[in-house]
Amino acid sequence: MWWVRALLWLALLIVLLALPLYLEAQWLRAGEYMMVGAVGAIGLTLLTGQAGQLSLAHAFFLLAGGTAYTVLAGGQEGERNLVGFNLPPLLALLGAVAITALLGIAFAPVAGRLRGIYLGVASLALVFLGLYFGQAAEGLTGGTSTGRAPEPFSLFGFEFSNEGDLEILGVPFRQSERVWYLFLGLLLIAFLLALGAVRSRVGRSWRAVRDNEAAAAVMGVSVARAKAGAFAVSSAYAGLAGVMTVLWFDILKPDESEFGTYGINVSIAFLAMVIIGGLGSVPGALVGAVVVNGLPQVLALYSTKLGWFTGTGEGAFTPVLISSFVYGAAIILVVLFEPGGLAAIGRRIAGRLSNPARGRE
Amino acid sequence: MTPAELRVENVTLRFGGLRALDSVSFDVQPGSLHALIGPNGAGKSSCFNVICGLYRASEGRVFFGDVELTRQRPNRLARLGIGRSFQNAALSSHSTVLDNVMLGRFALTRGGFLECGLRLPWITRTERRHAERAAEICEFLGIGDVLHTPVGALPYGAVKRVDIARALAVEPALLLLDEPAAGMNAAETAELAHTIHEIRAELGISILLVEHDMGLVMGIADRVSVLDFGRLIADGTPAEVQADPEVVRAYLGTDHKENA
Ligand SMILES: Nc1ncnc2c1ncn2[C@@H]1O[C@H](COP(=O)(O)OP(=O)(O)OP(=O)(O)O)[C@@H](O)[C@H]1O
Ligand SMILES: [Mg+2]
Repeated sequence: MWWVRALLWLALLIVLLALPLYLEAQWLRAGEYMMVGAVGAIGLTLLTGQAGQLSLAHAFFLLAGGTAYTVLAGGQEGERNLVGFNLPPLLALLGAVAITALLGIAFAPVAGRLRGIYLGVASLALVFLGLYFGQAAEGLTGGTSTGRAPEPFSLFGFEFSNEGDLEILGVPFRQSERVWYLFLGLLLIAFLLALGAVRSRVGRSWRAVRDNEAAAAVMGVSVARAKAGAFAVSSAYAGLAGVMTVLWFDILKPDESEFGTYGINVSIAFLAMVIIGGLGSVPGALVGAVVVNGLPQVLALYSTKLGWFTGTGEGAFTPVLISSFVYGAAIILVVLFEPGGLAAIGRRIAGRLSNPARGRE
Repeated sequence: MTPAELRVENVTLRFGGLRALDSVSFDVQPGSLHALIGPNGAGKSSCFNVICGLYRASEGRVFFGDVELTRQRPNRLARLGIGRSFQNAALSSHSTVLDNVMLGRFALTRGGFLECGLRLPWITRTERRHAERAAEICEFLGIGDVLHTPVGALPYGAVKRVDIARALAVEPALLLLDEPAAGMNAAETAELAHTIHEIRAELGISILLVEHDMGLVMGIADRVSVLDFGRLIADGTPAEVQADPEVVRAYLGTDHKENA
């Protein structure tokens, strides 16, 4: 049955490749936002689901990655005292991923000493560190009031911006269309790497550490190294998601409070994606990201069209608020009725289709 | 791998005031089936944990050939040719049987996140080769037909066999089995005794077996060491140990009470 699955994935990929020909820019942007979430969520599902290390630091690594890209690719700006290295964007992106991976390794010694919810709380400290850093290191981040515009991504001279006229099948390809393909490519790489790793000895060592550290050690796994590796990989994914975040917003703007683009709410949103999708499931992380990051976007788009949620200010039913309720409820439902998340439901359906007799048991 | 001798020398293990092991010494001869028995809480699992480096001995040393195990980290064990099964199986219950057994190949394989993620040809090739060997080991242990079943869905007897298969997947010269027959019925226990016998006959490795079931031990062991309250109270052939009055008092005595 593997070929049916492969065919379905291929069909999905073709649809995703064709979408920019049909969708308006605002819908493309909503999809891109889901892809940003998906990359981050894959990283977190590897760490929390596969290796069993609870982390609420994901938002911090997002900020670190976004900042690293902006600084590495950006130019020196004298009047604002901005630091920049003028690196080619591809190099800056890889650099940002490497830097966040190293930051993850730097946090690993803490992770080696704490477990479960204690580790989660300790990792939350990084989000506050990020909040402080974003405000204090104005030379890097541009500060909370103005922020800093990131260099648009470009690959071998091709700009992922509105630069130049490009038309395909009569559809003008501007920034939204181009960034769609950039994000799709990055997501595809992130997805395939994660799948490969999960099925290999690396994923096996993570699961072993998650389920029984003593047994993992006796089988030859260095528990400390496996944990550090999982943190490195997960933060690298978050770093990449951070790069995508600043490219998507077209600005790096550190938060003014602990809630924002790189705040506690974002760490929790990533955790929600991972739980809804099914802890440890890489395809589940994709679905979780579509639900959690997609819902507010789609609701917002519909609401302007249909004139819903016209209220503003304190206590108004905004799309963001509504989707928080929805994914909050989704988490509770998952935890109560299907701890394996959507991935487990998917597996059951697949099992029933491929083997009706067994599925009915 | 040529089997080496395992020597436990004057090992003492203290937990606060409790002496879980009290100056325990015994040797496991290369190629022999050595049983370690004793009542509940005698210190058998603790002894395994000291050998594996999971517990640090308060005093004394353990050697495997020329290597001092008490100075090694536990993750060196597999590379030194020692495989171990656990009293509580300690498997990943959501993962398949094959995936669990493949963990035993960890020390025999190479490759980090990027190599594995990119599925480089040599990674895929070695992975396939090792999966074949793992499947062979499962076949040998009679769990070849459930390779792709999650361990959590298996009956208890099969789970214990997966644990043994994982320990064997290390390709050990010394196999440590912690109560492999715990919780099994008489028929399953007899089958397991046969399997352990086969492992030894086919692979020629040393086996150190912790067991509660006296019948199982006496039938297949070459040599038996008896622990009681952390002390080694007897060490000899099954016949010698069975006749030892102290063993009868300490071990069989509690056994009778348990059964009453
Ligand atoms: N990590 C630990 N901390 C404190 N005490 C421990 C620890 N591990 C074992 N003990 C104690 O050491 C003693 C020996 O325990 P151990 O598990 O080695 O016994 P055992 O012979 O394997 O028993 P069983 O047949 O029940 O498995 C027991 O009194 C136990 O409570
Ligand atoms: Mg025990």
